[in-house]
Amino acid sequence: MGNKKAKSKPNSNGNRPRNGSRATKANVGTAVNGRAANVGTAAPGRSGERSSTGSPNQQTRTYSIPDYRLEHPDFTVRQRVEKDRDGAEHVRYEVEGNLDAPVPPIRNSKYLDKKQAIDIYRYMLLNRKMEVALENLYKQGKVVGGVYFGLGQEACSCASSYALDKDDWFAPMIRNQGSLLVRGFRASDTMMQYMAKADSPTKGRDGTSHFGDIEKRNMVSPISMLGDLIPVMSGVALGARLQGRNIAVMTYIGDGGQSTGVTYEGINFAAVQNLGLVLFVESNLWAYSTPSEMQYRCHDLAERAIGYGIPGVIVDGTDACQVYDAAHEAVERAHRGEGPTLIEAKMMRMKGHAIHDAAAYVPKQMMEYWKKRDPIARFENYLVQEKKWLTPKENEVLIAEVEKVIEAEREIAVNSPMPTPESAEGGVFCEHGCHEIKPKYGVPKVKKGTGGYKETEAAVHLK
Amino acid sequence: MQLTYLEAIRQGIWEEMERDPTVFCLGEDIGIYGGAFKVTDGFIDRFGPERVIDTPIAESAIVGAAFGASLTGMRPVAEFQFMDFIGCAFNQISNMVAKTHYLWGAPAPLVLRGPSGGYVHGGPFHSQNPEMWFVHNPGLKVICPATPYDAKGLIKAAIRDNNPCIFFEHKYLYRRIKEEVPADDYVVPIGKARIAREGRDLSIITYAAMVHTALEAAEILSKEGIDLEILDLRTVSPLDRAAIAETVKKTNKVILLHEHSRTGGLAGEIAAIINEEAFDDLDGPIVRIAGLDSAIPFSPPQEHHYLPKVEDVVREARRLKAY
Repeated sequence: MGNKKAKSKPNSNGNRPRNGSRATKANVGTAVNGRAANVGTAAPGRSGERSSTGSPNQQTRTYSIPDYRLEHPDFTVRQRVEKDRDGAEHVRYEVEGNLDAPVPPIRNSKYLDKKQAIDIYRYMLLNRKMEVALENLYKQGKVVGGVYFGLGQEACSCASSYALDKDDWFAPMIRNQGSLLVRGFRASDTMMQYMAKADSPTKGRDGTSHFGDIEKRNMVSPISMLGDLIPVMSGVALGARLQGRNIAVMTYIGDGGQSTGVTYEGINFAAVQNLGLVLFVESNLWAYSTPSEMQYRCHDLAERAIGYGIPGVIVDGTDACQVYDAAHEAVERAHRGEGPTLIEAKMMRMKGHAIHDAAAYVPKQMMEYWKKRDPIARFENYLVQEKKWLTPKENEVLIAEVEKVIEAEREIAVNSPMPTPESAEGGVFCEHGCHEIKPKYGVPKVKKGTGGYKETEAAVHLK
Repeated sequence: MQLTYLEAIRQGIWEEMERDPTVFCLGEDIGIYGGAFKVTDGFIDRFGPERVIDTPIAESAIVGAAFGASLTGMRPVAEFQFMDFIGCAFNQISNMVAKTHYLWGAPAPLVLRGPSGGYVHGGPFHSQNPEMWFVHNPGLKVICPATPYDAKGLIKAAIRDNNPCIFFEHKYLYRRIKEEVPADDYVVPIGKARIAREGRDLSIITYAAMVHTALEAAEILSKEGIDLEILDLRTVSPLDRAAIAETVKKTNKVILLHEHSRTGGLAGEIAAIINEEAFDDLDGPIVRIAGLDSAIPFSPPQEHHYLPKVEDVVREARRLKAY
């Protein structure tokens, strides 16, 4: 999976100068590049923000966030009062801006070869067709609870996780069901989770993408609370570093989830400890029903990287090549021990929050705009029409093969029994030798100082 | 050797770090400064900044990072400067750490430790006993030692345990009590209570600093011919149901004593266990002595009024004995 990665010795924790001189040679973001005292403009603000002014003696720092997109969607959502036919007032969202821009081309990848590109495309197809199957299972009454979709976000899930090495770790969020497929889980795993089956990875104890595997696939289970995976993944990288390995730990957050305080705590911890966190921020414009305009004030969430003192980069989340390249460079940085990267991918969530939600609050023009930017249609067109890496016939064969796989996975999932009531019991604690705890990457090599044990002086605090 | 309660904990962690290279510490000001109470004093010189990590003031990040590291087979020991601040990390502990093994089968061998408890005029944010927040979270082991011997044996057991353990160190006891602690390696089993004083007339079930309050009361009462038995729970989750039932069956009268607020407190749970296990053995009402249902006030006369006292135990024991 992915390219061969350069390995490096782990850094010691956090003992690095707090300045901007560590700007990486890689192309991925150099948010901290040049903290020189140039007079320059402040980061671009949303409309109406003030620009930087000051006395001639004032020093203004400039920062840059690489933006690899080939277009820059320019519209804003706001609340507006509308009157219906009876004169009753209703508050609605409306969108303003340029919604007629043509769809840009896919940016050629600096790293992906033909085989890898087709591989990612196949995972994206699997991702979508698995979710179509889930929707059908729901309609047949076979799903317990709701279904969450990553429609429109398949490039984000699949191309990002494709950049990880076998020894790297990841933790998906609810819309990253495609990442699970890339990392070797089966579609039936996710389907059985949704159907609360006995053979699901959690044996019925949780649903959706809420499962993990610390032995083979290096996946931490998400929880429903947003942002909590970020410090956890930083801790995974810390554990690996203590065992002598710089690994990449990838997790995801949305424009809604990043509002939580634990997001800040987690990124900041990774930053000060210089841990290989690859935080993939999916700006999908809607957090349940709340638009990103009501979630944060800065222009782009990638700008937050400046505040953390880490590189940030912006990509088009509907362009699998851009997603892969940014993820690949961030993973490489992590393997070199150069610390965390924040990748912001822009796209739109193309269904409601979950299956019960028709997303009627999303202005129609926005839906139309992003429909034209369907990540799978764009990538298909790129592979078949532009690069000619797939003939139309080969593409058809591939799609048919994926559908066959999903159908077989659906059969497995449907045929799994429901768990017994009594299987609700047990397993609260790790006991009776159910797990052997051992360092995953080898016993840490410890250095010890010459200082022996001495009794402490009385503490001053609260005698 | 004679060790204080604090020194016993410090020595326990030190020995585990010497013994097991997967053990490391993280927390606020634990490195060069040695921790607010000096529990990790000198650790950074011996074990290095890689294994004694000063963190940002971010409790969710501390717990999250400890948990993440534990998933790779490390055994982190995370310090809370005061256990009052564990509330800042509540979601990580309750929804992430505690549920992990039950939901997806991943063991999380980590220790969250720090000072709790009153009697030191620390005020409402430096004196709390928040153990009950976690007793109601299946998947966590909650440990509250009362003596240097138990403190050392239990911190070592917690570090070696394959489950998340929350270790409450009573800050009033840190340097006030001292006892003989063996120099050789030993652990005290988690989940097992001990008889702190044998007696025949009535039982006091308690833990942590309140064990010493009960012992003082027992001395006073013994002069009146009232013979108290004191059960030190040592671990408040999981509770030692057998030991609770056994002491009630022996004395037939019981006082439940704890420092934290009465409503929703541990005494309610223990009373229910007694009801289930030893109802027919009771010769009197189950008596509760606990903190008031308020925050812990700062001013010494107010704090004194809030917290259980020796005289409360003496009074209630006399009343129950006469019942």
